[in-house]
Amino acid sequence: MQQTAVDVVATVTSIVLAPVDAWDRLVAAMNSRRDLQEEVLRLQQENRVLKGQSQRLAALLSENARYKALLRSAQLIDDELIAAQITAVSPDAARHIVVIDKGVLDGVEVGQPMLGEEGLMGQIILTGDRNSRAVLITDSAHALPVQVNRSGLRAIAEGSGMIDRLLIRHLPAKSDIRVGDLLVTSGLGGRFPNGYPVARVVEVVVAEGEAFALVTAEPISALDRGRYVLVLQRTVGSGAES
Amino acid sequence: MEQARSSWVIYLSLGCALLFMLLPFPLEWRVIRPDIATLTLFYWVLALPHRVGVTTAFFLGIGQDLIEGSPIGLSSLGLMISVLVLMSNYQRIRQFDGVQQSLMILVLLMLTSGSEQWLRNGLEMPGLPWLGLIGLLSSTACWLIIREMLRLLRRYYEVN
Repeated sequence: MQQTAVDVVATVTSIVLAPVDAWDRLVAAMNSRRDLQEEVLRLQQENRVLKGQSQRLAALLSENARYKALLRSAQLIDDELIAAQITAVSPDAARHIVVIDKGVLDGVEVGQPMLGEEGLMGQIILTGDRNSRAVLITDSAHALPVQVNRSGLRAIAEGSGMIDRLLIRHLPAKSDIRVGDLLVTSGLGGRFPNGYPVARVVEVVVAEGEAFALVTAEPISALDRGRYVLVLQRTVGSGAES
Repeated sequence: MEQARSSWVIYLSLGCALLFMLLPFPLEWRVIRPDIATLTLFYWVLALPHRVGVTTAFFLGIGQDLIEGSPIGLSSLGLMISVLVLMSNYQRIRQFDGVQQSLMILVLLMLTSGSEQWLRNGLEMPGLPWLGLIGLLSSTACWLIIREMLRLLRRYYEVN
């Protein structure tokens, strides 16, 4: 019932929001030709740079795969991305849940990670045929295994219920973690593949006499801004879990 | 004589109130969104307790849950309890002046959202932050406006 509801609610939302969308399109259509040409130029340049970088990435990936083969460790996971748009935010103020416009028919499944432009945003929790719901990493019922990129220290980053804060509790006070450290997914648990940027540490509080430090981090992705997201679909072998 | 006339007005207004939940709101500001659907339900119970009651509250709660994506029935319990309270006191509450009535509505809203929080705790779901109380206040502030609008609607279509 809830799965059908995802689709029905999304359809009704799009009808309710149709005037807003139409207005946006009108504004976009009225953008001058010059602006658009400039933007195309900028995007082409950006695309060239990205393509250049991805060439290197391909080489690195295959190199990495060879090393891993030598070490006989888990097979490298080949990630495929589904581009989606955030169409709505759940009205439930206690949760950080968004609706995206891709569903089972597009290959979206429960548990798949959702990425923003810069880093990890959340994961899919409910799928309909053409729409899905995803929970953001800052939801206070969400937690994910992370790793400090610099030192390799593993931790669990919990959602705080605030859109710009993640918390790491239960980290020994002497741990090697500093303000400015990048937290990436550690791949433990098998839900999120490793190596995706998650957050940056903004505060490490060690209270006098306490055994644990309280670490606060700010998500890399602007979770409350932007419409375009990517859903990660794993295709080749899931060696991480074996 | 004119029974079951114009009852569509009731359900249409409840439906529109639910649609209000779908309007985009910035993520951090959702707590202050007034709960128009609940207020609309309260108005109809207060005005026509023989027509709108616990059953309507139940289905409105289901609608809210489907829109929010929370477990089905989570909002229903609170709504049903407050509608029961409202139904057993409607004659008194109707006599109150604006401020008194708004305060009464605030109490009912607290009862509604309190029962929901209680269920959320039981289900180990995250509850509303304390900031969520602002939402109750903003809903209370909307009560008189909603009441006047729906009253006009009720008189125009002669819903009874």
